[in-house]
Amino acid sequence: MADNIAIKVSNLTKRFKVYYDKGRSLKEVILFRNRNKHEVRTVLDDVSFDIKKGEAVGLIGHNGCGKSTLLKLISGILYPDGGSVDIEGRVSSLLELGAGFHPDMSGRENIYINASIFGLTKEEIESRLQTIIDFSELAGFIDNPVRTYSSGMYMRLAFSVAINVDADVLLIDEILAVGDANFQAKCFSKLQEIKEKGTTIVIVSHSLSQIENICDRSIWINEGKIRADGTPLAVHSEYLDFMNEQRQAAGGKALDIPPEYVAYMQERRYKENLKLSMIPEQQAAVEANGGQYRWGSGEVKITSITASGPDGVGKRLFEVGSDVYFKVHYHVEKPIKDAVFGIGFFRNSGENLYGTNTRIDGHPKFDITEDGEFTIIMRKIPLMPDQYTVSFSIEYGDGVPVDYWKDALKIDTYRQTPDVGGFFMEHNWDYEAKKEENDG
Amino acid sequence: MSRLKDIYEYRLMIRSLVKRDLRGKYKGSVLGFMWTFVNPLLQLLVYNMVFSIIMKAGVEKFYLYLFVGLIPWLFFSAAITGGSTCIIAQKDLIKKIRFPREIIPISFVTSQFVNMLLSFIVVIIVSVVSGVRLTIGGILCLPVIMIVEYLMALGIALISSSLTVYFRDLEHILAIVAMAWLYATPICYPVEMVPEKYLSIYNLNPVTPIVNAYRDVLYWGRTPDLRTLILAVCIGIVTVILGIIIFGKLQRRFAEEL
Repeated sequence: MADNIAIKVSNLTKRFKVYYDKGRSLKEVILFRNRNKHEVRTVLDDVSFDIKKGEAVGLIGHNGCGKSTLLKLISGILYPDGGSVDIEGRVSSLLELGAGFHPDMSGRENIYINASIFGLTKEEIESRLQTIIDFSELAGFIDNPVRTYSSGMYMRLAFSVAINVDADVLLIDEILAVGDANFQAKCFSKLQEIKEKGTTIVIVSHSLSQIENICDRSIWINEGKIRADGTPLAVHSEYLDFMNEQRQAAGGKALDIPPEYVAYMQERRYKENLKLSMIPEQQAAVEANGGQYRWGSGEVKITSITASGPDGVGKRLFEVGSDVYFKVHYHVEKPIKDAVFGIGFFRNSGENLYGTNTRIDGHPKFDITEDGEFTIIMRKIPLMPDQYTVSFSIEYGDGVPVDYWKDALKIDTYRQTPDVGGFFMEHNWDYEAKKEENDG
Repeated sequence: MSRLKDIYEYRLMIRSLVKRDLRGKYKGSVLGFMWTFVNPLLQLLVYNMVFSIIMKAGVEKFYLYLFVGLIPWLFFSAAITGGSTCIIAQKDLIKKIRFPREIIPISFVTSQFVNMLLSFIVVIIVSVVSGVRLTIGGILCLPVIMIVEYLMALGIALISSSLTVYFRDLEHILAIVAMAWLYATPICYPVEMVPEKYLSIYNLNPVTPIVNAYRDVLYWGRTPDLRTLILAVCIGIVTVILGIIIFGKLQRRFAEEL
């Protein structure tokens, strides 16, 4: 096997016996011999591909196409009928969370059990115990029996163990939907971190956008064969077109549309719109950046953005007419001269609502030499209830982007009264009419 | 060989599962872990009432005679009957996680074995209190006998657990086999009661030399016959090797058969 290959799949074939009506007991086997007829279905048919070290690959395809079987063959849960899978390094498969958890035992004890099932030694577990507990955010409950946990806590603990195994190859099957949105975001960034460390990742997921966000490559399995293999965006377009054709051929009914797909299409439309809202240079930057809506020369990088009310507590939902505080932290790789901070508001349809920067606002020139933060307070935001995308930028005075983050943050607005429209406009009524006397 | 290495790398999993099994077993009961000691004592009481009051076997200190044979037997029979279903009971694990599957029967048999070791504390106390004078040779042989029995039980559990995945009736068949096996072993009666003409068949039972060896040490207070012991060691090793080979072949389709 070549040095830079992590997983080598060669001519892999897997067949399943599908019983029409399987009798498993002696009586059934003898009495109903005819019933034991089975059909041999080829789930994977002579599949070959290599995955490079450090590559993140998504496996896609409709239900029953063989993608999960492929993942199980790679992980060693199933054995092939033909061909082989060669893996370099330690494998961890996140196919099941919380394996071996005992409800009566404490969170801490269950970490040991669960991690030992992943093949960790005692020393290895002890060295990462604190990381696991911290990641799960369950420090106060870790010595309580897990039966007292909510299902969210349970999954958080389970995911924390699985994600901290430190394997060379990580196999994941549809498990990123764990816990609340915050925890999901955390899992997601942890995955990014793991990827950056050079771990090879293979993901099976229905969520194409998830794959697009993490993976460099997508493999589309259809009827046991590789139908397409390439960049996620290219493969997914082809896959979606194919699914569409299938649906039309079936009269639009036979295949039901999974909600992930709807969400994905919305996300895609949003990104298309976002693209339309940009000037050609920006569009080119997005393309050059592999579809990421963030580009720039990179001397200074935005590290985190918090939206909050005056109290400074981070939130995403704001009442129309309230003040919104955005605090932006940045990290300096190389000092820059004559910097400009910018902000922009977009509707999900891509429409640019408002944008400004420190130069436009007439601030004096300044340099950025070390890590820091800036705050911008948007007073009495007039945006009527909807979701909005906020972009942030750090630029040079001449408009060259240093870190231009188009879809940096999303905020939602709400309003108590049922007035309508896109913007709240401050107003006063003035009229003379006779008040109805109700209390007389 | 690589399988054995793989199992060794997962040794903590064996320990965790054994611990989970032992600790989880009596959770919620009033006596808790004490049941490990109370249970064999109560069983002894019942058997003793039946065999020394109703069906007299004509053996001196029959309760001890019985007890010394019964505790190892209980372990052995649990390994056969419970062992056959241990893979099916852990099917979620096997279908979703990759690990050397031998771990499941190994940890099952080991946790039963630990249970037996704890019961042996009671056995040894009862034996000493009853006036048996333990020899040093006998005491040194005791761990050997135990390990041999462990190996035999493990070999059988490896075979029965993997076969039961494909043929579920085995679970029920083995329950009957275990019952018959109890009466084919000199546990509730002395070997002398077996008619001479059947002895050659009777002695084929591989558990008999083990039970006899335990009895030599803890009932008769003497060092067991070395020849039978060596024979038992051989039987134990062969059973385990056979078990590992059969299990290794059958485990390949576990995930799809479960």
